[in-house]
Amino acid sequence: MTKPPRRFSVKRRLLFMLLAAVTAAWLITVLMSYRDARRQVDALLDAHLAQSAALLAAQVGEEFHERDEGEEEGEEIDADDLTHLHQYSRQVVFQIWQDGRQLLLHSANAPRERLAAQEKGFSDAVHDGERWRVFSLWSGAGRPLIQVGERHEVRDRIVGSITRHLLQPLLIALPGLAVLIWLGVTRALKPLTVLSAQITQRDSENLTPLEATEAPVEVAPLVESLNRLFARVRASLDDERRFTADAAHELRTPLAALKVQAQVAQAATTDSERRRALDNVIVGCDRAAHLVEQLLTLARLEPGRPGGHWQRCDLRALAAATLAELAPLALRKHIELELDPGPPAPVDGNPDLLRILLRNLVDNAVRYSPNSRVVRLVVTPERTRVALSVTDQGPGLAPEEREKVWRRFYRILGSGETGSGLGLSIVKRITDVHQATVSLDEGDHGQGLRVTVIFRHPEPA
Amino acid sequence: MRLLLVEDDPLLGDGVQAGLGQAGFAVDWVRDGVAGELALKTEPYAAVILDLGLPRLTGLELLGRLRAAGNAVPVLILTARDAIADRVKGLDRGADDYLVKPFDLNELAARLRALIRRARGEPAPVMRIGALELDAAAHRVSFQGRPVELSPREFALLNELMWHAGRVLSREQLERQIYAWGEEVESNAIEVHIHHLRRKLQPELIRTIRGVGYLLPREPYD
Repeated sequence: MTKPPRRFSVKRRLLFMLLAAVTAAWLITVLMSYRDARRQVDALLDAHLAQSAALLAAQVGEEFHERDEGEEEGEEIDADDLTHLHQYSRQVVFQIWQDGRQLLLHSANAPRERLAAQEKGFSDAVHDGERWRVFSLWSGAGRPLIQVGERHEVRDRIVGSITRHLLQPLLIALPGLAVLIWLGVTRALKPLTVLSAQITQRDSENLTPLEATEAPVEVAPLVESLNRLFARVRASLDDERRFTADAAHELRTPLAALKVQAQVAQAATTDSERRRALDNVIVGCDRAAHLVEQLLTLARLEPGRPGGHWQRCDLRALAAATLAELAPLALRKHIELELDPGPPAPVDGNPDLLRILLRNLVDNAVRYSPNSRVVRLVVTPERTRVALSVTDQGPGLAPEEREKVWRRFYRILGSGETGSGLGLSIVKRITDVHQATVSLDEGDHGQGLRVTVIFRHPEPA
Repeated sequence: MRLLLVEDDPLLGDGVQAGLGQAGFAVDWVRDGVAGELALKTEPYAAVILDLGLPRLTGLELLGRLRAAGNAVPVLILTARDAIADRVKGLDRGADDYLVKPFDLNELAARLRALIRRARGEPAPVMRIGALELDAAAHRVSFQGRPVELSPREFALLNELMWHAGRVLSREQLERQIYAWGEEVESNAIEVHIHHLRRKLQPELIRTIRGVGYLLPREPYD
């Protein structure tokens, strides 16, 4: 048992890809918004820190001068009253240092150690495991150092909130989007489902074209291809049926002759009469057998069956063998068989089929020649091709007949010959298989018939 | 009775000619439509057996021309095609009967006898004239209730005389009906056969009309 091939579902694949693309686009948007928000919040809060420091500096400068030296250090100012204005205000702390070493003043929530080592501008620091943003302002020696700080956590919370608000709609929209995509794709694929049902329901005899009126642009080519396939199959089936019917009809005449001759033998009153009828029965059997053999040959040559083993053959040697085989038949009619001498003529092909081809051509020539004539075979190896011609001195073929003789069961009526009517059909099929061409024209001096088969010169081995 | 067979297959034509000869018919055999047309113009046939796939002039064309010329001879078609449409076409063109190959010789002979009977307006298969009885199908003749042994030629000759009872038939007419082409006819053959018939039946049954021919009276002894 072979494993069935893994099938993918267009619907599932589309759904997955669309959802993935939407999610990715959204996430990129969120990421970009996050970074932008971070930058903006940083800038805004930094500005706020700097401004607070400046305000403190202005206020402290006045008081600083009014105070006396030696006052107790580390006075605490409860910033609560000042900074009740905003939920984040509590987070802002400040320290005022004398000469950078002695803490003069600080907000209640400020740590005891210096917020930052740096004495000017923005810096980041860690106190008690928390990250701080610090702005330091120091106008120079003798002036107090002012440091305003704020926990990073504040900024994280603001940016986190913005990001959450951006993400929420995506989480809500994704399932909805999935349902919409599923419905849309199902709807778009409906023509395929309908098509599949149409094909499943039809029986093997039904080869009428599929209706493609509602097929969308993507499915229409499939329907057209299927219809073309149906047409081809129908044509080949019709051909097959016609051939079978023709074959059955063609067998009826020899069978009728056999039956009639047998009945004549039964009813015969004299020995000579009976013997004559029985001889005719045997001739009739041979004829029917020949027809059956030709039918089988043609059936084996049906399209789609490349003929057996392919090899380099000498057409001249095959022609000589065929003439030897058919010599007794020719002798009975006092017909002379000739093969022009010449060099070997290599062609690539199936030797069995080439023998059948030669036999049919020579047999036809002998059959349709009057007694005591010549049937001549010429094999001409040329640079690019190999030509084979069989010429007889029979009645020839009218030009309008030359096209018809390739048809199955076409006989030259009135020739008095009882061929199968298949010989030239077989020749045609074999030349087709060998990619050779076959043509008919007049024999020498406008008399008789010449059949010419042209093979391609074989590729150098 | 003389028949025309138009058939291009040599073995079949030969068999039908021989077989119908055994059944007491004289059969002329031609192999193409043109020869068939010519033969029909020159000879009076009791019936025609026509193949359809003929060279030069197809069976249907020949049939069409025959009927167009007003020839009412019974025609039986022999063909390999058995589709209803083919049969209908043949019958509509003026054929009287149809046989599909392969067929039985006895059936062919019987159908021909029936066709000829019908064409001559003779419904009974056994002809009776006075004490004389002729059964064409069984090839039997009896006179006054006694069977009479006749040779095929004598039988054919008596058959002709009975068909045309009451009419004088010339020697040539009789020869034409009982001999096909190519058969050797002795110059006094008819006289010899008549002599034998008279001996086997009754001398005065067949009358000689001197210088004209022979006559079988419709009512013997009248």
